[in-house]
Amino acid sequence: MDANTTTTTISVAQPEKNKALSLPVHIFLLAYRSLTTIMRTPEALLPPLAISIFFLVIYQSTLGKAASFIPGIGGSYLGFILPLSIVSGSLAGSGIAAQNLVRDIERGYFDKLLLTPVRRAALLLAPIMAGAVILGIQSTIVVLVGLLLGLQPATGILGLLVVIGLGVLLGLGFAGFTVSAALGSGSAAATQGASFLFFPLTFLAPTFVPLALLSGWLAVAAKLNPITYVLEAMRALLNTGWDAQAIGISILACLILAVAMYVLAAFALTVRTRRT
Amino acid sequence: MNDREIIVEDLVKTYPGKVKVTAVDGVNFQVDAGKIFGFLGPNGAGKSTTIKILTTLALPTSGRGMVGGFDVVSQATDVRRVAGVALQDIGIDPLMKSMELLVLQGRLFGASKPAATVRAQELLELVGLSDATDRRVGTYSGGMRRRLDLAMALVHQPKVLFLDEPTTGLDPVSRRDVWREVRRLNREMGITIFLTTQYLEEADELADMIAIIVDGKIAVEGSPAKLKAAMGEESINLVFENPEIAEKGRASLERMGDRIQLDRDTVRLYLSKAAGSIPIVINQLQQVGLSPISLTLTQPTLDDVFLQVTGQRLVASEADKSKSSRSTPRAEVN
Repeated sequence: MDANTTTTTISVAQPEKNKALSLPVHIFLLAYRSLTTIMRTPEALLPPLAISIFFLVIYQSTLGKAASFIPGIGGSYLGFILPLSIVSGSLAGSGIAAQNLVRDIERGYFDKLLLTPVRRAALLLAPIMAGAVILGIQSTIVVLVGLLLGLQPATGILGLLVVIGLGVLLGLGFAGFTVSAALGSGSAAATQGASFLFFPLTFLAPTFVPLALLSGWLAVAAKLNPITYVLEAMRALLNTGWDAQAIGISILACLILAVAMYVLAAFALTVRTRRT
Repeated sequence: MNDREIIVEDLVKTYPGKVKVTAVDGVNFQVDAGKIFGFLGPNGAGKSTTIKILTTLALPTSGRGMVGGFDVVSQATDVRRVAGVALQDIGIDPLMKSMELLVLQGRLFGASKPAATVRAQELLELVGLSDATDRRVGTYSGGMRRRLDLAMALVHQPKVLFLDEPTTGLDPVSRRDVWREVRRLNREMGITIFLTTQYLEEADELADMIAIIVDGKIAVEGSPAKLKAAMGEESINLVFENPEIAEKGRASLERMGDRIQLDRDTVRLYLSKAAGSIPIVINQLQQVGLSPISLTLTQPTLDDVFLQVTGQRLVASEADKSKSSRSTPRAEVN
């Protein structure tokens, strides 16, 4: 690097042109930046977490004794209902990164980024990665609250880590959707709205009782819902023990959801960055 | 070395829709390396659209644009490397600090973290923001934001700098600061500057060359001195009590000068020896029983040039300013 010091205040140091510096670095830089601004707006961060914990406590207090007369709970009601808290937290939390993105679009910072040699895929993946970090922290806190309430996980610490991992993985799919909405609409209100679209999905699932007790159309809907498989796997981990098949199916369900959402997000990015 | 840093040929930009809008309609111009080019025009004349095409944010409908020797359509990545851009809507995140924004910008252009940090410090010093590096940008004044935006446009040491209305909405002091900065970047660092503005004063102050764009077409082009000289005439300006009386004044003076214009309550009489003609003008007015409230003598200004080519006065009213500063950025691009 040449540092010609001329009479001017600026040294004529050309930023080193490293073409290999690419996608992973750009994702890291932009995700780090997203997290910085997310942390500076805790008011957006706290409500999803507070709601998760609120419902956890309510469900536990209302139905905590129900484990004895609902067949198929297979352990404590807390272990049965905590996954719902994590999943609904993932849903709500997945919107945060997209809100950040839509703010950039509205403020013109997104255009500024487009004028740099930033890898286009990083514009999409960075907010999702930032979302993953947020969801990881959020799920961990929910799990810790569960432990405080007396949760005794059947698979120990390792099992808890898998539960958190599944929460993040599911959230990544949702984040793909909200990020698509942000890129597609460029509007904060529309992005906010999109975050709620998944909300009913939490109830088209074995939300409060085991899958075997659902009947009719709801049983069909639940079987098509990826959330069902995530709930099942998490419940097994917390209440009954390691179930490789349940974990495998839930990971597959999350991946299918994520891939579908990323195809959508990639399309939205192409439309957004297409020069007209 | 290119002696032409920007070349624009037959540039056309049409926005499709129910009513097809032609924002830029067959524009041609060239900007020499190391010069400041002032692109002047009222709101909606096509200035921002032109700058968006040249900075690769929008595609032309037809025609060609070259920046730093690269085609803005087929070599967009190269154009982005040689061009720095400060758009009319300042694209900075209010939650970030200036240092963070500049370092990130530098790193996206491929600088290492230490190099980007050094560069960011230099730039903050250059634009006089060294004292405010640790504050969130959201707390900055309008002038400070402009200067930060300018610094961000300079991170990768561009050869060409595009400034879209860099002083719109700024107070006079901040405006002077930005002017000083622009002049310095041009003189000391030899950066070619393409600048759009709605202020004649600004173009007159900064630009080596000026083009006036009206309704998507270039109405006149040349150096400020040349444009003023082309007007070639002094004028006597007479202000009357109201437009009706002014019209009577205009009618009575019609045959006196080379040209006469009425603008609301003001009559402008263009003639070669304006000072010497004052007694005759007054005499003439008195004969029809009129007396002006004020009488001034002016040398030709760019304002006159503008008035002559467009038939309208270039006033950036308050309403226009607020309109151009924020509300319709997307609608304009899409």
